[in-house]
Amino acid sequence: MSIFRKLSWYFRLEWRRYLTGIIGLLLTALIAIIPPRIIGNMVDGIHGQSMTGRLLLIDLGLITLAALAQYGTRYIWRNAIWGGAAHLEQLLRNRLFNHFMRMDRVFYQKYRTGDLMAHATNDLEAVQRVAGGGILQFADAIITGGTTLIAMMTLIDWRLTLLAIIPFPFLAVISWYLGQKIHRAFGESQAAFSRLNNKAQESISGIKVIKALGQDDADVADFDSQVDRTIDINRRVNRLDSLFDPSITLVISISYVATIVLGGLFVVHNVITIGNLVSFISYLAMMVWPMFAVGMLFNTMERGNASYDRVMELLEQKTHIIDQTDGITERPQGTLDYHVSQFDYPDDAGASLKRIDFTLPAGHTLGIVGRVGAGKSTIMKLILREFDNYNGEIIFGGHNIKDYALDSYLPAIGYVPQESFLFSTNIFENIRFARPEATKEEVEAAAAKSDLAGQIDNLPAGYDTQVGEEGISLSGGQRQRLAIARALLINPELLILDDALSAVDAETEAEILANLKAERANKTTIISAHRLSSVMNADEIIVLDDGHVIERGTHDELMATHGWYQRMFNQQQLETQVKGGVQ
Amino acid sequence: MADKPYESAWAHSMTTKEQVTVIGRLFKFAAPYKWFFIVSVILSATISAVNVFLPWLLQMYMDRYLRTSNATLAIMWMFAGLYFLGMVTRAIMQFWQNYTSTMGAEYMLENVRRKLFSQLHKKGMRYFDQTPGGSILSRLMNDTMTFSNFWALLNTLMLATFAVISSFIAMAATDMTVALWTLILVPFLALTIWYYQHYSSKVYRRMRERLSELNTKLAEAITGISVIQEFRQEKRTATNFEKTNEAYYDTRKAMIRTNSLLLSPIINLFYALGTVIVLSIFGIRGLHEVVAAGVIYAFITYLNNFYSPMSNMMDSLSDFQNGMVAGSRVLKVVDDQTLAPAQHPVADAKITQGKVEFRHVTFAYDQEHPVLKDVSFVAEPGQTVALVGQTGSGKTSTINVLMRFYEFQSGEVLIDGRDIREYPAEELRSKMGLVLQEPQLFYGDIQTNIRMFNPAISDDQVQQAAHFVQADEFIERLPQGYATPVLERGTEYSAGQRQLITFARTVVTDPKILILDEATANVDTETETMIQNGLDRIQENRTTIAIAHRLSTIQNADLILVLNQGKIVERGTNDELMAQHGYYYDMIQLQNAAHAE
Repeated sequence: MSIFRKLSWYFRLEWRRYLTGIIGLLLTALIAIIPPRIIGNMVDGIHGQSMTGRLLLIDLGLITLAALAQYGTRYIWRNAIWGGAAHLEQLLRNRLFNHFMRMDRVFYQKYRTGDLMAHATNDLEAVQRVAGGGILQFADAIITGGTTLIAMMTLIDWRLTLLAIIPFPFLAVISWYLGQKIHRAFGESQAAFSRLNNKAQESISGIKVIKALGQDDADVADFDSQVDRTIDINRRVNRLDSLFDPSITLVISISYVATIVLGGLFVVHNVITIGNLVSFISYLAMMVWPMFAVGMLFNTMERGNASYDRVMELLEQKTHIIDQTDGITERPQGTLDYHVSQFDYPDDAGASLKRIDFTLPAGHTLGIVGRVGAGKSTIMKLILREFDNYNGEIIFGGHNIKDYALDSYLPAIGYVPQESFLFSTNIFENIRFARPEATKEEVEAAAAKSDLAGQIDNLPAGYDTQVGEEGISLSGGQRQRLAIARALLINPELLILDDALSAVDAETEAEILANLKAERANKTTIISAHRLSSVMNADEIIVLDDGHVIERGTHDELMATHGWYQRMFNQQQLETQVKGGVQ
Repeated sequence: MADKPYESAWAHSMTTKEQVTVIGRLFKFAAPYKWFFIVSVILSATISAVNVFLPWLLQMYMDRYLRTSNATLAIMWMFAGLYFLGMVTRAIMQFWQNYTSTMGAEYMLENVRRKLFSQLHKKGMRYFDQTPGGSILSRLMNDTMTFSNFWALLNTLMLATFAVISSFIAMAATDMTVALWTLILVPFLALTIWYYQHYSSKVYRRMRERLSELNTKLAEAITGISVIQEFRQEKRTATNFEKTNEAYYDTRKAMIRTNSLLLSPIINLFYALGTVIVLSIFGIRGLHEVVAAGVIYAFITYLNNFYSPMSNMMDSLSDFQNGMVAGSRVLKVVDDQTLAPAQHPVADAKITQGKVEFRHVTFAYDQEHPVLKDVSFVAEPGQTVALVGQTGSGKTSTINVLMRFYEFQSGEVLIDGRDIREYPAEELRSKMGLVLQEPQLFYGDIQTNIRMFNPAISDDQVQQAAHFVQADEFIERLPQGYATPVLERGTEYSAGQRQLITFARTVVTDPKILILDEATANVDTETETMIQNGLDRIQENRTTIAIAHRLSTIQNADLILVLNQGKIVERGTNDELMAQHGYYYDMIQLQNAAHAE
């Protein structure tokens, strides 16, 4: 029941809809009493030859009216209640989506994409079922069950009724019990499906390896054995599912036995008429579904409740980033002063930053190099305000970055990670993602700067080529260049290339860096990279290890120190001498 | 390009003839399980007979005994007993009918999957290079599922048909005239079904497409959240999502309206009107003569049996088109003739030395535009041949030919002096080891990833192989050593570790010939060293053909082949080629110049 209470805000909000639905259900149930009773009367009339033409017309007219009225009332309650459920789902989905938009990195580390998707689909589905099927089951059990029961007791015979409905509570128990077992078995069946799906996916993506190892047959055999397991699990689902109808049949057969014997006795002893018996059997059939609904209601509520709690838990998560909505609204510009004495990731003891200080005047370029996991990206994340829980301060354009309104601050920064996400749309829309009003010329100019324009022209549909999940797959280098174009389109005060040139070849890299230098006078750039040629022209280079700076200076200065930088640079030069040329 | 998930897959309608062909072929998949279906059909027929028998029993009871008031308690118990027996029989049959039909469909579904999966393995690499993996997977898993739902639909249809036929026969046997009068409603019923089908399938399709679009957008917003937030596009994305959500809600409302108007409420109305017809005839007749109560009861019950399966059937008909399209897509994969190149094995052909020779090999992917032109070279046992050249120069194609992923058109490929086609496939696969750029791990543990499915490889050999490529160091530090689980794609291991595991996988089979596709991506220097050491060791005493990007591989190669547009333009060692001042030399100069800038 608690789920109905938890959802009461919605029922109050949509009270008109639900009131209409309940009234529709009530009318449907009340009208449903009429035809069996009239049919019983007619049977008696025809049977006893007491039928008159006028009576016949009235009876037939009433049944027809009842049928038409029921058509109307059924239409009304269905629309109201199912519509209400669909609306609740829409509402919660929007709320969840907007919440996802606001959440920070901590949230996305805690919940994985698959989980979030499951909450936004399966859980919402279960909750909307409460507002649809649940309400219906609840109302049906009380309204239809109640009215039919009263009709049977008052219109026919209360003793016969009590005897015949003795087995009916079993229907509720069965539907509850089987419903639960099937739900669990079905969950296992879905798990079996995804296991099989994963297996198949792996085989398809690893087909080359499998073929090269000559293990086609073994792979097929492995798939077969997984299929066997799947069949075993599904057999259980099918068996449970096949039990539903027979169980109903068995339970009501006992009612029929009672009706035949006691009803027969009553007819013979003139307690009830034979027409009453016919009506009674119809009413009996009408009692099956409400009793079943009681059992189903428990399952609907239980699942809905658990799902609702999970959705609420998500919605109650708070972002750790505090947006100063009344903060500074000017676009940050000028010197970037970075002073962070200590930063640790929440829930992660490993990676952290210690005593990172640098000053980057407008128009300058900073290079950041170091091993994987040295903390290069972490430095950027703090600038991007993905985390605010550090000791120290970052000043950009004379103000602490925490004092800016995010709406003014972030649009001044163009961040390009190593793996940037492409949306399932065309290249054009992907480039102008951050500035949807950009013109074709502007988009093309950005593509030219990131040395992507020529590549796009070679694609089948040019800028209209679909990319992303379902589109053509671009190479790693093309993706990186597209992401750079996307960032350049907003003409950022601070451009951050976070290992964003790792998949382009040296020539292209040189060209892009030259373009940036020419186009971005007075604008600031930070470049992190493994390939040292990416940063060798920077105004300052810092070498990170384990979260702190181990070397810093210009390229020439660093080469003179005979440290990590110099060693790495020479090694890479040597490789480039042959390798670069023959790709 | 993959099918767009939210674009109607069955937008193109199929002709009746196509549908018949598809159904005919689909039935063949079910053939091995025909007994399940036969039993289920027989049981459906029997159930509908019992459904007729039960009202008839009550009719007899009412008219023969209750009416004449000569029913003794014994007779009442007898009828009750018979009725109970009928119900129990029905319950048992209902169980088996449902169980056999669902299990039949299940077996058939898995049969299709098995067939499809083994068919896939018979296809050549061309098929996999041309078809996106996601679409193959969707054929194998989802379309087969949709197509098996099609059998559930057939089951519903069958039950409905038997119910309609048996109840009509029962009505006709009870009273022919009244039975015929009830047929007046049938044209209207047919019209309703047709109209519902016509209209609802459109709405239903639109609803599914929009739901699919909604979920795609949701998934993309979650995976792309950092891009959205960094560019401050949250509001725009949310507005866009809300629009799609609203559109989905609208079609859902339309679907609810359609179902409320044309599904069970209208069937209930038909049933009520049928009752009115029946009662009016019996009523008019009752003005003059006696009509037995039991007859009226039985008749109305038959009428109920006639109409009750209708809404269920109409509802599931929406899946019909779905099933057909899914079925035809599955068949398309089955029919695809992109087979792997065939071998013509000579029984005792064994690779003992590992000498590889290409003689005037020409190869085209499309039969028309050769990507390898007259390629000849020899790799003596133990030598390393490095293939260099720009993208599209023919390096990968050379390996595709050597690995027998593709059939070449002319020339000869010889191994140990014998035509490569004369070796049994198993011999080739066991003596030629391929190492790919992207290390591919499979779900399981470290051990199964090294051994793969080969049961002949002992635990000891697995450990030796790991030791050999120096992967044992990190493996033994793992919590469960060799039994440490590898999850999907092995993302919990670093790139270097993954690569080492695949090296171990390659050496454990002890191939004579090693085929290397070196990675181009930049990795950090420690990983690079780790991979380099592994590579050096597995090349020992093996003939190696490599698409080379690494300095050491190229410099130490016994032979460098410089490819350009499918032809070998230069050949020799690094020193020889540098001395030639040719294409190879130019490329390197050019590159160094670009780099020094």
